[in-house]
Amino acid sequence: MLLDFDRLGLFRIVLVGIALLVGAFLLLPILLIVALSFGSSRYLQFPPPAWTLKWYAALFADPDWLSSFATSLEIAVTVMIVATLIGLMASFGLTRGRFPGKEVLRALFLTPMVLPVVVLAVGLYAFFLRLHLNGTFAGFVIAHVVVALPFAIISICNALERFDKSIEDAAVLCGASPLEAKIRITLPAIRLGLFGAAIFSFLASWDEVVIAIFMASPDLQTLPVRIFSTLRQDLSPVIAAVSTLLVGLTIVLMLLASLLRKGKPA
Amino acid sequence: MTRPFLSIQAIEKTYGAVVAVKDVSLDIAKGEFMTFLGPSGSGKSTTLYVVAGFLEPTRGDVLLEGKSVLSVPSNKRNIGMVFQRYTLFPHLSVADNVAFPLKVRRRPKAEIDAKVSAMLKLVRLDRMAERMPAQMSGGQQQRVALARALAYDPPILLMDEPLSALDKKLREELQVEIKRIHAETGVTILYVTHDQEEALRLSDRVALFNAGRIEQLGTGRDLYETPATRFVAGFIGNSNFLSGKLDRRSSTACAIVLPDGVRFDAAPSAAIEPQRRDVEIMIRPDHFRLHNGERDDGLPKMTGTVTDTTYLGEYTLIAVRTAWGVPLTVRLPPGAALPDIARGQTIDLTCDRANLRVF
Amino acid sequence: MASVTATRTGAERVRRQPRPVAGFWPTTPALFLLLVFFVAPVVGLLLRSVLDPQPGFSNYAEVFGSTTYLRVFTNTFVVAGLVTLATLLLAFPVAWFLAIAPRRWSSLLFGIIILSMWTNLLTRTYAWMVLLQRTGVINKALMDLGLISAPLPLINNLAGVTIGMTYIMLPFMILPLHSTIRTLDPALCRAAALCGASPLQVFAGVFLPLVASGLGAGILMVFVMSLGYFVTPALLGGTANMMLAELIAQLVQSLLNWGLAGAAAVVLLVVTLTIYAIQLRLFGFGVGHEVE
Repeated sequence: MLLDFDRLGLFRIVLVGIALLVGAFLLLPILLIVALSFGSSRYLQFPPPAWTLKWYAALFADPDWLSSFATSLEIAVTVMIVATLIGLMASFGLTRGRFPGKEVLRALFLTPMVLPVVVLAVGLYAFFLRLHLNGTFAGFVIAHVVVALPFAIISICNALERFDKSIEDAAVLCGASPLEAKIRITLPAIRLGLFGAAIFSFLASWDEVVIAIFMASPDLQTLPVRIFSTLRQDLSPVIAAVSTLLVGLTIVLMLLASLLRKGKPA
Repeated sequence: MTRPFLSIQAIEKTYGAVVAVKDVSLDIAKGEFMTFLGPSGSGKSTTLYVVAGFLEPTRGDVLLEGKSVLSVPSNKRNIGMVFQRYTLFPHLSVADNVAFPLKVRRRPKAEIDAKVSAMLKLVRLDRMAERMPAQMSGGQQQRVALARALAYDPPILLMDEPLSALDKKLREELQVEIKRIHAETGVTILYVTHDQEEALRLSDRVALFNAGRIEQLGTGRDLYETPATRFVAGFIGNSNFLSGKLDRRSSTACAIVLPDGVRFDAAPSAAIEPQRRDVEIMIRPDHFRLHNGERDDGLPKMTGTVTDTTYLGEYTLIAVRTAWGVPLTVRLPPGAALPDIARGQTIDLTCDRANLRVF
Repeated sequence: MASVTATRTGAERVRRQPRPVAGFWPTTPALFLLLVFFVAPVVGLLLRSVLDPQPGFSNYAEVFGSTTYLRVFTNTFVVAGLVTLATLLLAFPVAWFLAIAPRRWSSLLFGIIILSMWTNLLTRTYAWMVLLQRTGVINKALMDLGLISAPLPLINNLAGVTIGMTYIMLPFMILPLHSTIRTLDPALCRAAALCGASPLQVFAGVFLPLVASGLGAGILMVFVMSLGYFVTPALLGGTANMMLAELIAQLVQSLLNWGLAGAAAVVLLVVTLTIYAIQLRLFGFGVGHEVE
């Protein structure tokens, strides 16, 4: 009754109505930004008086935006690799290991995800002041790996727990060394979890803004930091152009993720 | 004296205070099909995993052709194994699965290709070489696992309940296949199962495990016809147990008195301690003989009431309750069934001395 | 008769030799990283609350004694509460719809939810700044329709923060709710109806109790995430209704008052961890549910 879509009666209209409204609420702001990025109005009038690519031209002509983009990309790719590797090792320990305090360790590894970022940001900022790591590439990578690690560990642990360890044992009995069995059999078998860890780690760094605001120097600013500091001054349509590119990237990542899921054997 | 091919010597495995395996010893000849049979937790799989090298024994040794293998890691033992769960490598095709152990051993490509196709022919899956494991049934997957385990010609093949996830029909089909492959390859097989029928069907010899020890080691016939202990008698085949008192005992004979006063003579059993008086006699359902009271062969008889008869074609089952209330099952071959046995009828039961066992 | 069929309770579980610390070493890089760059900095900040500028509890006295700071606490809880309520009201019917609607519709809505969730946080906040500003789309539309004569103040105040945060938090309420409702068996509700219960009785007596765990997880998660949020309040809120995370950032960035910032951080942490402890106790791990 309450769970049969076709037998909800009048209430079904209410449910469909709210679903439509929420769908529009979630989607329209994003579409609006995409539309405004092609609009000619400096003051973001909607509908735009005319269509133009000038904000994109301005964006690509500005070395500051380009260097922020490059900085963010470099940091996010490095974080993706480091977090996935460290996360992979930690996940093996957490799923296969037997040692006292394992559950405490698991909780510790996931804490950065639930702690308010601003606390970590302020704490790391003070700590990095002493180590002279603020405003450095290494500082950004370290901070973002801390934030990305829980996502990588959750994704890989899920995959490892679903993977039957007997398959790895079979490879060892077939003559493969334990390491060879992990590399040739286990890693390919949990590759979806690894890709998930990579995508989430990348996004965790790419979208991270709070820590970056504290750590950024005039010479090294990630894209979110530049957007944030620009937004503090005005709502430039150039940001609409940047945002549209970011939405495009999101869609690419979503398609990638759904392709990976489809490619998964039943 | 010939040296045994595989020798398991006084293996013991403990986890803290828990003893999983205790003093297990046995020798296996080259080409033999040996089955470890027993209930869950009896130590049979643990023993197998010690041979595989996944577990280190707390005590004891495992010798292959006279040399200890305990210090050899699993991947260097050159042992084949088929697991209970399907363990095909999910991202590799059937052919690549079978080729894996050969690739790990860096064999030349031509040799690998030839061996893979020979192995797939052996398990009758040569048309499925390019399939992925997810596209195959459980029975097919276990055949591939068997081909993979035999691809590198291991001297020993370990099988850990390989058919327990399959349904009855498929299981019987694969039992025939395994028997054929054993005959064709001559490989020595160590097989673990909790299914007594499977054990008897496949093996040259069976080691029956209970509570971490081997209760009895012998051919299926040994285990069924001359069970060494009460546990073996109860585990292999169907049995009736009757409690009684040991009355007289000599080196060649003993007598047991049942609650209704009937005395049965039997061969004495080594399993009974000298002071013990409370014993059980075991009679297989098909070893009973029924009487309607007209004939007398001079054997002791106990009286019972028929509570049910079930005609099953190949045999007839008759449920009988003894005068003191113990339910018994009697199995009669077709034709032997007395036509006039009916529920509620009183009958006499007897059994040849040779078919009685005392525990 | 002792009918002996072997027990079929599955294979014996075989475990490897239990060494006291087997398989610990792979966790050491992650452990080292977190101890040095997570635990140490956070603990360092917390310690500053009682050590900076001099040892004692003066920072806490100031945080709890000043009306300015108390207003920030109140405001933080008000915003988090409003956001939680708003997301709950919107998310519940949506999660319900997702669980029972025809697959084509639900996967379309799912796609929108995931797109919104994965879109850069600043992009989403920027969109609402554009929409809510004085000359923005919403004010313009309302004025064109003749509903208002002067632009409504929608940004840099409580309304702006609440709308923006609701937008951001909505997926975090929909997803746990949906994963609970999805597991319900329609037969349960049908059975209740057959027993004579009215739709309202079925809803209150069967449906709600069964989804209580998902509801609780979603509510606590959204509330606790809202408490510590920084970016959206900083851009959509006004100075009059500053939230705790902004206060901490400002104390450090503008005032360099580390002791006070540490004390505020302790307050935020204590509240956050308490709520997580409640959640863990009541519902187990609500975090890390699978995102489809």
